[in-house]
Amino acid sequence: MKSHVSRRGMMGRIGAVLAGLLAGPVARTVRAAVSKGLASAGAAPGYEPAKHKWVMAIDANRCIGCGLCAQACKSENHVPAGPYYRTWIERYIILKPEAGADRARGETLVDSPEGGMRGFGQPSVAAERIQHSFFVPKLCNLCAHSPCTQACPVGATFDSPDGAVLIDPKYCIGCGFCIQACPYGCRFLSPVTHTAEKCTLCYHRITRGLKPACVEVCPTQARVFGDLKNSAPEDPIRQFYQNNLVQALKPQLGTDPRLFYAGIDKEVR
Amino acid sequence: MPPQTFRLLLLVVGIVVTYSTARCFLTPPSFGQYGWFRGEALAELGAREPVYAGRKACEECHADEFKKLVEHGHKTLSCEACHGAAQAHAEDPDNPGVKLDKLHFSVCVRCHEANPSRPKWHKQIVVKNHYTIAKCTECHVPHMPEEAP
Repeated sequence: MKSHVSRRGMMGRIGAVLAGLLAGPVARTVRAAVSKGLASAGAAPGYEPAKHKWVMAIDANRCIGCGLCAQACKSENHVPAGPYYRTWIERYIILKPEAGADRARGETLVDSPEGGMRGFGQPSVAAERIQHSFFVPKLCNLCAHSPCTQACPVGATFDSPDGAVLIDPKYCIGCGFCIQACPYGCRFLSPVTHTAEKCTLCYHRITRGLKPACVEVCPTQARVFGDLKNSAPEDPIRQFYQNNLVQALKPQLGTDPRLFYAGIDKEVR
Repeated sequence: MPPQTFRLLLLVVGIVVTYSTARCFLTPPSFGQYGWFRGEALAELGAREPVYAGRKACEECHADEFKKLVEHGHKTLSCEACHGAAQAHAEDPDNPGVKLDKLHFSVCVRCHEANPSRPKWHKQIVVKNHYTIAKCTECHVPHMPEEAP
């Protein structure tokens, strides 16, 4: 049997549907108005994220492997004790090829005792066997297309407008997807907070006008830090790009890192 | 409208309303302020207190030593590279309880011990062959490495 709806009844139903659809936006507006007075400002006072683009560069020719950067990072950011590092130093040793071998380079050895934070002792192989050896400081590669951000299922990892790739510790559920996604191994799961942690470019320092702790303590200025949006031509970061042949790590992955290296060998990954 | 269509419509409307209301209350107000994340997280991450004060803070009180440093070979060094983190000292300079690291032979050797991985331009010594009977500072002035004490 076909039911008959009165014109009045139909208008009422349409009204109810429209009211239902509008409820969300209306409630949102009300809530935004209420919370406006309560919420804190988005960033540090006087700091406008969109007006900065922080980048770092590393000149491996200048790194002496003292480990002060890794040590400073650990204490500046209260990184948990143990094998957890937001920045660390790797020592690359490329051996001479075996006698009579038709190869130009021998085996590559990489070590990083305690992330290099207490410096490096003598290499495990005799100096005569070494063709070439150097230190490579590592940290977040500041990808423009960061795989970790794409992997995060809850929107806890994000690309800040000022160039830092950050983690919202209140949103992180500690699933570890980002740790697997990072091709540079720059993240770890904190045994203290059980959330993912990584280099923040010392966000609490750069928003106060200080340099990141690792850059501050680097005795040879192997680490260069700057703001692409507010740098004069004589700024160290501009000078770095002018004076060096630079490269990024794993460019084939399309992550488009903003961390550039000078003076590293093809074996570095 | 057949009653079953009407009930289905009512259900859909109910779900949409419940979802948008819940979403509205569960989404933090600063979400989307800068992008697909909670904008307040930036302030929270920036709220941590620094541990290293930075060279400028040291210069404010120790201008004499600072001047020596920047005019000599160790000019690229931060004070805190050798003296250790100094924010606590910079905030409360008169407190004798807040002390900087006591400097030791290991501070010099950390950078200057010969190592085949170190770049050749960097000045290095083999410690066990390098006049082991004296302290480093008997012959070298850390703030002015080219000068004799």
